[in-house]
Amino acid sequence: MKKSLVTLLAISMCAVMLAGCGAPKETAAADTANDTAAAADTTQTADEDTDQAAEAGSAVLADGVLTVGTNAEFPPFEYVGDDGEPDGFDMALIKAVGDKMGVEVKIENMEFASLVSSIGNKIDVAIAGMTVTDERKEVVDFSDSYYDAVQYVIVPADSSIATADDLVGKTIGVQLGTTGDFLAQDIEGSTVSSYNKAVDAVNDLLNGRSDLVIVDKNPAEVFAGMYPDDVIALDGAQFGFEVENYAIAMPKGDAELANAINQAIKDLKADGTFDKLVAEYIEGSN
Amino acid sequence: MQSWFIHVGEMFQRAFLKEDRWKLYLGGLGVTLKVAFFAAILGVILGTVAALMKLSVKKNGKPSVRSIIATIYIDIIRGTPSVVQLLIMWFIIMKNCRNGVLVAVLSFGINSGAYVAEIIRAGILAVDQGQTEAGRSLGLSQAQTMMYIVIPQAIKNVLPPIGNEFIVLLKETAIVGYVSLSDLTRVANQVSSRTYEAFMPLIGAAVIYFVIIKILSILLSKLERRLRKSDRR
Repeated sequence: MKKSLVTLLAISMCAVMLAGCGAPKETAAADTANDTAAAADTTQTADEDTDQAAEAGSAVLADGVLTVGTNAEFPPFEYVGDDGEPDGFDMALIKAVGDKMGVEVKIENMEFASLVSSIGNKIDVAIAGMTVTDERKEVVDFSDSYYDAVQYVIVPADSSIATADDLVGKTIGVQLGTTGDFLAQDIEGSTVSSYNKAVDAVNDLLNGRSDLVIVDKNPAEVFAGMYPDDVIALDGAQFGFEVENYAIAMPKGDAELANAINQAIKDLKADGTFDKLVAEYIEGSN
Repeated sequence: MQSWFIHVGEMFQRAFLKEDRWKLYLGGLGVTLKVAFFAAILGVILGTVAALMKLSVKKNGKPSVRSIIATIYIDIIRGTPSVVQLLIMWFIIMKNCRNGVLVAVLSFGINSGAYVAEIIRAGILAVDQGQTEAGRSLGLSQAQTMMYIVIPQAIKNVLPPIGNEFIVLLKETAIVGYVSLSDLTRVANQVSSRTYEAFMPLIGAAVIYFVIIKILSILLSKLERRLRKSDRR
């Protein structure tokens, strides 16, 4: 008696679980057949990626929704606004781009380090103050660059760090997967502490756990403005860091989407919207 | 099919062999094991003390001050997420401590202690009241009865759930990446942030965790069998 009861319970539980899993999948499959197809197989090659992206290319534009990944931890380019939604220069720019393209923009806030690998499955494109690098180019395509930036070094106000040689053997705080992270790893004898958020890296600089933080220029100036007595932001040029270009990351080989986005950026620059956004978000924040 | 194998091989090469990345995983595993091991020791010590405190009663049967303190400790720790505890420990309580592993050990040890306390309390309560009575009537003090009669029997009772707690603890250390410690999970994330492929680093980390925990559970069940030997007479 007892045994049969247990069996019955187990079977009914399995049934409930199966039903629970099945239902959303069916509805989801209907509207995002493309997404699930891409997401189902995480083992896909870069080449396969290209093929799938090319197929999905028209779909990205056709379904009328552009899903944009960002990491809202990077003021003034992206941050969580007072209303709890991602806000900032990049957000305003991509919404303007979406308007020009006639698609609805849906923002997905996620970890910076997972942005590139999410393109083509969880998101359509990514805008997150992302620097164009050769490594990233192997996996995704980039739009025309929309902003030039340089890595800055944040050091405690009383620090003597001033040249590239001073960086050797230091403990460096960075945000995981950012260009600052890659720069820091290439510095001789450095210990790299990688954080999910740049602000955590700055916090630990203030706590004395690291000697410096490498982060992009604009957030660096924001942080230096937040703690004017404790830290200073130094131009990366004096450490030999190269100028970088921010661009929108897109699925590889999707020429149609790339053209549409590049054209939209061009139009925004031509009609003055772009400069207005720069003035509002970037220059206004300093 | 063949190209798929070649592709997986390439991903493996990028995720583990290129630039000696396997060394990163080893280092990460070291951090994971170090944090888990010392936190487990701290957890057992704190848990035993808290369990004994919580079991202590006043002569009139009401809970003692010690038991109230233990209850508050257990309530607070069990009532807050361990990530939040870790972040509080890192950014607020020990914000000037540069030894990240130490902060993590303390945070996880204090966390684990609350769960271990309840496990040990259950183990002690499961020992028949008659055992205490027998000890007391043979002239042992309360403390001696606890030490030599009750606790040895309780240990046998708590072994399975405490093994469970160790396993949970080891896996929970995966959150130390939040505070920039490079444990196994963080290393997997670091590698995938370089290769832009999540598959191999994550599967690799999962396999390593699994193997470590399988070894741990084999050792625990061996110990359990050993302690049960005296039961079969």
